[in-house]
This record gives sequence, structure tokens and C-alpha cells, in this order.
Amino acid sequence: MNLVVVVRQVPDLIEPLEVSASGTALDYETASFVVNETDDHALEQALLLKESGGGTVTVVALDYGEVDNTLYTAAAKGADRIVKIARADDTPPSPAASAAAYAQAIQPLGPELVLVGIQAHDELDGVVPPLLAARLGMPYVGVIRGVKRGPEPGAVSVCKEFPGAVMARLSVRLPAVLGILGAEQPPRYVPVSRIRAAMKTAKFDEVAGAAPPPASRVEVCRLYPPPSGARAEMLSGTESELAARIAEILAEKGLLK
Amino acid sequence: MDYARPIMWNVPHWAEIALYAMIPLVLIAFFAGVVWRVRKWSIGQAEPGTLAPGGQLLRALAPLRLAELVKTILFQSRLAGDGFSIVMHQAIFWGMVVLFLGTALATIDQDVAHLVFDAQVLRGGFYRFFELALDVFGIALIVGVGMAAYRRYVVRPKRLEATRAGISLWDGFPFLAVLFLIAVTGFVAEGLRLAEGFHIESQAAVAATRGPEARRASLERMGLRERLRMGAERQEAELDRIARGEPVFPAAAWAPVGFALAKVFHPLSVGSIRALHQVTWWLHALLAFGLIVAVPLTKAFHLISSPANMLLRNPAPAGRLPVVAESGVDTVRDLAWRQLVQLDACTWCGKCQEACPGHNIGFPLSPRDLVQAIGAELLRTPVRANGQTRSLHGEVVRPEQLWACCTCRACEEVCPVQIQHPRLVVDLRRRLVDQGQVDEGLQEALMNLQRYGNSFGQSPRKRADWTKPLDFKLKDARKEEVEYLWFVGDYASYDQRAQEVTRALAKVLHAAGVDVGVLFEKEQNAGNDVRRTGEEGLFSMLREKNLKELANARFRKLLTSDPHTYNTLKNEYPSVGDPPNGDDPLAGKPVLHYAELLDELLRQGKLPLARPVDRTITYHDPCYLGRFNGVYEAPRRVLRALGVELVEMPRHGPDSFCCGAGGGRIWMKDTPGIDERPAENRVREALRLPGVECLVVACPKDLVMFQDAVKTVGAEARLRVADLAELVNEAIATSSEPSTLVETSHDRTG
Repeated sequence: MNLVVVVRQVPDLIEPLEVSASGTALDYETASFVVNETDDHALEQALLLKESGGGTVTVVALDYGEVDNTLYTAAAKGADRIVKIARADDTPPSPAASAAAYAQAIQPLGPELVLVGIQAHDELDGVVPPLLAARLGMPYVGVIRGVKRGPEPGAVSVCKEFPGAVMARLSVRLPAVLGILGAEQPPRYVPVSRIRAAMKTAKFDEVAGAAPPPASRVEVCRLYPPPSGARAEMLSGTESELAARIAEILAEKGLLK
Repeated sequence: MDYARPIMWNVPHWAEIALYAMIPLVLIAFFAGVVWRVRKWSIGQAEPGTLAPGGQLLRALAPLRLAELVKTILFQSRLAGDGFSIVMHQAIFWGMVVLFLGTALATIDQDVAHLVFDAQVLRGGFYRFFELALDVFGIALIVGVGMAAYRRYVVRPKRLEATRAGISLWDGFPFLAVLFLIAVTGFVAEGLRLAEGFHIESQAAVAATRGPEARRASLERMGLRERLRMGAERQEAELDRIARGEPVFPAAAWAPVGFALAKVFHPLSVGSIRALHQVTWWLHALLAFGLIVAVPLTKAFHLISSPANMLLRNPAPAGRLPVVAESGVDTVRDLAWRQLVQLDACTWCGKCQEACPGHNIGFPLSPRDLVQAIGAELLRTPVRANGQTRSLHGEVVRPEQLWACCTCRACEEVCPVQIQHPRLVVDLRRRLVDQGQVDEGLQEALMNLQRYGNSFGQSPRKRADWTKPLDFKLKDARKEEVEYLWFVGDYASYDQRAQEVTRALAKVLHAAGVDVGVLFEKEQNAGNDVRRTGEEGLFSMLREKNLKELANARFRKLLTSDPHTYNTLKNEYPSVGDPPNGDDPLAGKPVLHYAELLDELLRQGKLPLARPVDRTITYHDPCYLGRFNGVYEAPRRVLRALGVELVEMPRHGPDSFCCGAGGGRIWMKDTPGIDERPAENRVREALRLPGVECLVVACPKDLVMFQDAVKTVGAEARLRVADLAELVNEAIATSSEPSTLVETSHDRTG
């Protein structure tokens, strides 16, 4: 099976994020980048599919942030081919521009199945996977937890999650784009020695970026950290006083009768 | 009066020839067995950075090491602490040695002295001494075998229970039985021989009533002349002696056991005695031959493999983990040859299992069974690689056994034959890591370490946040020269409770005027435990990054808070090789744990101790400070100087019981179904000490583990966990400053 995985870089949340001077975007200068978690699951799912019945896994990524580290890690995990899309500056493009760039790089690969994380946490509304499917002219199914081969040739069986923890098993005819929420098992650990070996041997196919798509109709007017509320009430006193006060609050809120 | 030991008494000539004909066959079988075992060692890997086996052997034969080995063997000194075991081993060992030497001496007496020179060594006083010695050591052998049987079949300690994967069926009972029978048949043969002597003497005595000539004639009639196998002149002298009424076996009374048995056998007829003697003599010889042939095939091989292992052991520090293959060990062929010798050296004594914290609390780990299972696999593996060698992972060793190890080295410390069990565990873990098979908690920690250089998944920029509440500035060792570069370590930097200790130590160092600086956010986890989880690549990466920072800093000595950090900086960071790498940033720079520095400051009178600490405490020896690096006294000297009353736990010093954090276990998930955690076991041990109110540690991981355990066993009110640095800070703190030991009940974070 010809599998393609889209892997994005997102700002690492262990460092505090800053809003850029423009007030409409993150300050990517101060951020460090890490692989998007659901994309990591998409890669794991693709590797599991490959291991369960053969095929090739091609990883496609835009060149910004610490993408090389991520791609070497992907190679060390077992990705067969890596396509890196050139980018003029070192920041993530808009969702529409991303989808256009991915589609242009993926089209020539002739994939049977494209796996992409359901959302990146610096992205509006999780629109990249469906936009990508639209550009590739393939059907799209999102919020997937686990993909299996079959039940018939030319199809995969996916587990889709609905609100309220309702799960459905769907058969999806290929080719298709899947928005992955979780792989069948957590992403595997890849030891540093294998990553270092991949750094010596892995080759990236570098392709040019796509022409910028028409401007998005959604515009960010202002980006700001959530204002901190001043409504927290700090309790103090002896243990029994505290317990009494907590009980009182719970009763006020209607949680205790 | 001169007399000699009668040789080959009552042994027909054909039997003597048969016996001697068997000796070369026995020796061939013995050496073939030894070669079979030793060739198995050759399938192992060479160890980079160490000498080849031949060179090792040459170095091992250096007088000092040889003397140490001889001492170990002669006194069985590695068994120290187990009196019963020492007596048992000494009795069997020396019993067999003396009986073997005695038999060899008798053989020389026969084949060299007698046949070549018609003379004997075993005569007169020496002959008497010989008889006595053999009887005494024969008894010793029986006592030793009896003790072994008593321990195995009556006391039945868990550590001696049958292993899951034995290396031979011919062990345990049959082995002891053979040793026992060799001693018994030896005594019986002796008794029968002496009993026949009594018969000859009494017959001669009857004849003697008709005069001295009749006695001599009666001896001749009994064919005594022919039965004394010696030159005509000496035969004549012997007959004369016996004809004077002296015993046929003149040293009989010097063999008390044989003499007593002879009295028992005396009522039998001469014919029966002679027949029984021949049968017993053969039995004795065949058992002894059988034993020799069986040595390489059974547990008795440890007579050869254990000393070989001790001679060939790697003299590198215990804290330096050797690496043969970064990707770890899959089959026995991937192990170093030295490890294969160790597998063969194991005597299944189970002392490792008794000391193992994992085993003690119900983890599926026994270091003994691990060594035995892999040892059995070695014997099944052909020397020439024909086809596939079976992987050790799966049927031979299960992952949960490997992950249960705390690498605390308690097993290695007690092993009488110096087997390195933790090394084996880490080698096998490396393979699991290489295959991506790691515990969930461990995976998270390793990914955090890869990315952030700390296991907490915290920002590297926050590494020095613990310094913020200090009312003085710590020097930045990246910018200015310092005497001590303080490598703080992860737990001491990021764990909330451990941070208090780190600050207490900073205050103490400040008060003592120590010139100290830190690397701030440039420090990363030193990698001691990363290496021991089997993630060798990550360890190398962390070591490279830290060494790069250390190379940019100017300092004279390294100071550490964490014994784990201490171990790897001291033993694994300096470049190993001959000659050492010239640009090694650690060359000539001592590494100190703060307990050592405090001890030094104390000696120099630089610790401004203001008030005695009036507490009854006990001290827990951290594995990586004590067992790995031998630092036991420095922290105790500091504690005594503070004026505390130190009560030792039963398991202290080299016997210290691990808190369960080592070898990366602090990052792994709790194993379900265990009886108790190692830290809980240890806290209960401290709680059993009368009057002890404080468990003092010198390791941030101990602090975290014991703080948790004190809560889970519900002993928070009775036992406080405090660090050595906190007690020192309390003793030097000016009255205006509150004691750092005021109620602290922060939860463990991260």
C-alpha cells in the first residue's frame, strides 16, 4: 500500500508563547518547534499498516522549525521516503497555503492513503486535512482512532470517534485522506542511536513550494493570551473551618443538598 | 623403629594395572570436558578498550592479583558474613584437597619412591601424621557434606531452591552423595584393611605361643612376605618387625576412624574381609574417577570457572558500565567473552537473589535465575555458528525481568564469584530499547531527555529556577572561573522537595565560603540512569553535550548533588583509553559528592557549625555513592560532627537496600501485584529502629522515594525524611534564619 503521511511542526508548549508585534500571530522567533502530536500518531498508524501487510510510507513536511530532526526520527522509525517542501521563511504558512503545498507535493506520489493528524494546535479549526483532501480530489474521513486493512481489497476499515465516546467502524474505499486522532498504539520509541544513524543515511527529496493560494477569507484580527480572572477565592483557616467552607460553597452551587 | 606404609595391600596385580590404565582415560575425559566448557567462552565478543584474554591472563598472573585470588580460595573470603557457608565450604574444600593430595602422595610413594628407588616417603613419624591427617580431613569432608545436605534438604532457604533452568541434572544431591560416598568408602576400605591386620596379628600371636620362630613361620605361611610389595631387603626387615609382635599396620592407631571401623569388621572372616576390601577399594577408586570426569559437566566446574572468572575480571571501576554493542545483546554470542566466563562461574548459591530489592518485594526478577537461564543457553549453543542462534529475549529472559532491575549492584556486591549481574541486565535492556520496546513511563522520560535534557519534560530554561529564592547569587561557571563546578542534576534542580535541599546545600557552601558555580540552563541530565535503562545512544548524546559545556567552563573540581550523576561523571565521563585523551575537559579534575566536600570542609574547620543537632537519626547509603563508589564514611563523619545520634539500620554500608529508583525505575510505572515498594520496605526498616525520628539521605532520588513511602505506609508523623545538607544547614543557620527542617509536606512533582 502506498501510504503518505503529512507531518507538521508546532510550537512547543513547554515554553511560554508570545504574541508577535503585529498582535495577530505567534512570535515564532521565541518559540521552539516540536512534531504535532496527532501527526506523530498518523505516522505510527502508517507504519503499523505497512508492517501488517507491506507497502511504503512517504513522509511529507514543510521546511520550517526543527523539521529535520522530526524527519530523521521518522526515517529512523521506518519511513521509506521523505519529501521536504521548500519554504521561504521559517514560520508555518496559513492552513490554506499549507494544504496547497502538501497537495502539490503529494499528487505526484500517487498515494492510496494519506494520513494526517486531525489538527495542529496552532491551526484554525483543523481545516488542513479536509482542504488537502479537496485539493487531491479524494474523500475525507476525520477523527479516526485506528486503521486496519480490508475488509475488501482497495479499502480500509477505520474506527471513527463521535461525540459522547460513540465509536463507529467504517469501510473507506481508497484512495482517501484520513484525519487521525490516534493510532492503534502509542507512537513507538526510537532510540537516539537509530536517529543518529538516520542522520547519516537518510536522504530528503526536496521539492519547491506551491504558488500561494488566493487569500483566505478568514482573517485574524487579534491574538492575545486569555485574561487571567480575578475571581479565585483563596481559603484559609483550620482544617475544620476549611472543610465547613468547602461544604458551604458546594451547597451554594447546588452540588450539595 | 622404622616402618612404612604397606602399598597396594590386598590389591591384585590385574586390578592395579587396570587402575593405572584408567588414569589416562579419566584425565582425557576431564580435560576434554574442560576444553568443551572453555571453548564455549570463545564465542563471546572482544571488549573494546580491554586486553585480549591472553593479555588478561598475563596481567592476572601478576603477583598481587594472584595473591588476592589465592587468599580468596584458601579462606573462601568472599563468603564473609555467612559463617555456616564458610565452614561448610572450608570443610568440603580442604577435605577434598587433603584427601586428593594424600592419594597423590600415596601414588608417588608407590610409583616413584617404591618402584624406582625401592624406598618410601610414607614411613615412620610422617606415615603416622599422614594417617591422622587423612582421617581428620575425611571427617571434615563428611561434616561439610552433611552441613550442605542439612542446609539444602532441612533448612531449605529460598535462595537454594531449584532453578527454573538448571544447567545439569547431575547436581545437588548426586554431587553431595558422591562426595559423601568417596569419604565413606575410603574409611571402610581402611577399616577392612586394618581388620585383616588384626587377623594376621592374632594368628601370629597364637603361633607365637610355640616360640618366636613359630611366629615368623606362621607369617611366612600366611604369605605375608609376598603381600608386602617391596624390595627383598625391606621385606625381610618388615617381617622381622612384625615377627617381634608389632602391628602389621604400625600406624593403625593413628587413623582413628579406620581403627574404630576395623574393630567393627574384625569379627568377619578373613576371606570376607579381603573380598569386601577389594570391592570397597574399587568403589572408592571408581567414585573418585567419576567425580573427576564429572567436574567439567556439573556444578563442580566452579572449582575451575570461579577462580578463572576472578582472575580475568575487569579491573575497571564498578561504576563504569562496559559497552560491547550499543544495540545490545540478542543471543549469547553477543555477550562479551568475560560475561560467558561469569555465567559458568555461577554456583547457584542464590545470595544475589536474597540481596535483590526487586526479588525481595515480589518483582519477577531473580539475578540467580537470570544468570542460570543464560548460562544454560550457553551450554546449548554450539561453538560454531551453524544456523540460527536462539534469541535470549522471549523464552530465556522476559522483558519484565529486565525492567525490574534497579541496577543497585547489591547482587554483584554479595556474589562470591564476582558475577556482574547488572551489566547483563543492561546489555539485554539495550536490545529492548533498540527494538523500541520500552515501558510507557520510561518512554516519556526518555523522549523528554532527548528533547529537553531532563526527565521532567520541563523547560531547560527553568533548570536553575531553584536558585531564585536564594538571597545571594550563585556564580555562572560559564562566565567566570570557579573552584567547584556544581553539577546539580535533574532531581535536585526540578523536584520541588529536592530543590529545598539544593538550596540548603547552596547556603551551607555560601556560609563556608566555597567558590562554587553552576552551568544554569546549559546543564543537562548527566545520563547515569539513561545509560542503565539501555538507551546508550541517548547517554552518549547527553555526555557529549555536557562535556562540551564543561570544556567551555573554567573550574578545578566537579561537585555533584546526585550520587547517580556523581557516578557517571566520575567513572564514565573521563575519556577511557590508553593514553587518555589530551583534550578531556575532566582530566585531572576530581569529582566530589557533596558529602565528601562537607567532610573535607569539616576537616579544614570551614564549616561554621553553630549548634548541635539533637536528633536520633538513621542514614541510608545511596547505592551509587556507597556500593558503586565506596563512599560510606564521609557522610557518617559529617553526621557525627553535627552531634546527632546515629543508629544504623540492619542493612547499611555495602548491604544497603535500594530505594527502588535506580536504573531508570524511578521513571517506570509501578509493577502491579507487588508486595510492597522497595522504598516502603526500607522505610519500615527505619521505623523498626527504636527512637529514630529522622531518615537521613544524601541523594535527591532517595528523598523523593522515601518521602512518598513514608506517606504510603502512614508514618509521616513518626519519621521525617531529611537530607544531610539540610541537617548541616540547620546546624550552621543563624538564629534569625528559620530552620530548613520546619514542617515540609510538599508533594512530589513531575
